Amino acid sequence: MPALQFDRIALDAETENLREKVREFVQENESHFEQPNSDFVTGHDPEFSRKLGEKGWIGMTWPAKYGGGERSNFNRLVVTEELLAAGAPVSAHWIADRQSGPLLLRFGTEEQRQKYLPGICRGESYFSIGMSEPDTGSDLASVRTSAILEGDNYRVNGTKIWTTDAHRNDYIICLVRTQPAEENRHAGLSQIIIDLKRDGAKVRPIKNMAGGEDFNEVVFEDVVVPKDRIVGESGNGWAQVTSELAYERSGPERFLSAFRVFVELVRFCGPDPTQYQATVIGRIASHIMTLRRMSISVAGMLESGKDVVVEAALVKELGNNFEKLLPELARAVGSDGFSDFSHDSDLFRRTFEDTMLLSPSFTLRGGTREILRGVIARGLGLR
Amino acid sequence: MDRSDLTSLIADSAEKILSDFCDKKLLDQSEAGVFAQELWDEIRSNGFLDLGILKEQYSSQDLFAFLKICGRYAAPLPLAETILARGWFPDALLDESGVASIGVADGLEVKRVAWGRSAEWLVAINIEGSSLSLFRDFEVVEQKMNMAGEPSDTLKIGDPVSLIELKEEPFAQMALAKTNLLAGTLQSVLDLGLLFATDRVQFGRSISKFQAIQHSLAVVAAEVAAAQRAADAAVDSIGSDRFIIEVAAGKARVGEAVGIVAEQTHQIHGAMGFTHEHQLHHFTRRLWAWRDEWGSESYWQRRLGEWLSRQGPDNLWASLATPG
Repeated sequence: MPALQFDRIALDAETENLREKVREFVQENESHFEQPNSDFVTGHDPEFSRKLGEKGWIGMTWPAKYGGGERSNFNRLVVTEELLAAGAPVSAHWIADRQSGPLLLRFGTEEQRQKYLPGICRGESYFSIGMSEPDTGSDLASVRTSAILEGDNYRVNGTKIWTTDAHRNDYIICLVRTQPAEENRHAGLSQIIIDLKRDGAKVRPIKNMAGGEDFNEVVFEDVVVPKDRIVGESGNGWAQVTSELAYERSGPERFLSAFRVFVELVRFCGPDPTQYQATVIGRIASHIMTLRRMSISVAGMLESGKDVVVEAALVKELGNNFEKLLPELARAVGSDGFSDFSHDSDLFRRTFEDTMLLSPSFTLRGGTREILRGVIARGLGLR
Repeated sequence: MDRSDLTSLIADSAEKILSDFCDKKLLDQSEAGVFAQELWDEIRSNGFLDLGILKEQYSSQDLFAFLKICGRYAAPLPLAETILARGWFPDALLDESGVASIGVADGLEVKRVAWGRSAEWLVAINIEGSSLSLFRDFEVVEQKMNMAGEPSDTLKIGDPVSLIELKEEPFAQMALAKTNLLAGTLQSVLDLGLLFATDRVQFGRSISKFQAIQHSLAVVAAEVAAAQRAADAAVDSIGSDRFIIEVAAGKARVGEAVGIVAEQTHQIHGAMGFTHEHQLHHFTRRLWAWRDEWGSESYWQRRLGEWLSRQGPDNLWASLATPG
């Protein structure tokens, strides 16, 4: 069978030194840490994002000429994992840093890089992902939003949905049809940048089951944008979007969403836990230690330019399942689990409930569990 | 020859020997109580029993990589025991060619001794202790077998030949050995699942084309990948002050993978995998036996959890986020 390889990687001293700096920064900025979870989507705080930009911790791996730090993927990983573990509000800049920026670096034109990347690095310019549509979920190639070339402009019509933070972000990069669908459904797709504040897209918030209003429906009715907004080459959208998703899948945000529940669980159980409590704590830890190392292995493969599509899907599959398991394990540890009133009104309970309500999204966003298992099966040579 | 050349040379020659010898017939004979002497001699003459003793020549990574390969072929011999015991008692055992096995001390008895009936030397370990004793004088009190049909005997001991203290808890070292054996066996079970699903035709096509089967195998592959990484991390902690913590995480995580991988792979194999004639059970029964030997998941989870609880909630992340 094809070997799935997760290399042994030890982070270097410089990276560990950076970790200490991030921890100091986190301590100095505690006023920004209000959310009771470590989910990467829920904490939106532009002021905090700008502070990270000043530190040089956004766009860390990008070339200096675009405002980047030219640092390693390991440096970036350490910054992101420290912030998530602490429950930092990172959602404002998260997508731009993780996904949109790398996409523009890989496929964008020189003008696009110069125009968009410096603002992202400063923590001032925020991006949304325009992939899903009302009739397009996992079957991404079925998108119907169209961008028709008319002279020097594209005319965009259609609807994107589940678009995190479109109501407050600056740009959305949409997967659109620039040619009608043919037999090869992956042809004729392109990615186009739309200015959410200026181009006339209509944004309607969608309240989620946790009460949050992070995601939206974005409607384009004859939205006209200049033709230089196409990312890379017209018609190359499918290849671009697939590579973009690999970046999205293996980072620490795929197994740390429920981490604050673990912290409060350990606090609740105290220094001398019962045997059962200690067993639960150890079980959770054994998963985190392993997932974290697998994620670092993937960062190492990205660093050396390897194809990580399958390995990244594997980390996300394991990580998302674990993020859902964690609160399930945590709720059972009081003398009578959560029916024990000692949990009432404390941070453990609040963190648990907050994370539980977000948990259905863990195995949906960035590719559903079912899609990921398909990606893994393909990597195993089964399709 | 540089290090990586030596490492791959060890792996290649181990693969060659074990794939030549470890067929279904040998595994069946072994379960009938026949010691695989020819395989033992081949392994000994190729120097593998010295992996723990010649510390200048071989690294601990070489040793545990060899055990992973032993796990992949379900090598039916007390190799982990003999290799570790020789490393612990080099003066007494360097020139010995027979089995040195290991068990858990319980008063005047030593329990769960792998191939105790064939052992010439015996090491008794205390759970969570650092001391261990070497015996030449012992007798078999009771012959038993584990779920995999491997001898797991109770021996009565006389006076020890030698008594030493180790920096790294011997019980945990054996857990690390089992962790790597398990990681190797898990890989084989995945491979068997992929092979069977590809070959087996139902409803006019290979069952590997059914989404339900593909998803099962994806889950199995994810668990197997996690097990490999967890086992490697535990090996890499040898010599560091995190040794116990990393072995705890490794044995616990690999043990958890066992439950999922064995269950799903048997389901994929259908009734054929439930027969004695099929080879799958030689691997899955080892998985089930070994996950409980030298500390089950709950044992190691508890030790890891107790340690983390002492570090406290505000040091939790720092206790997990290691450089390596």
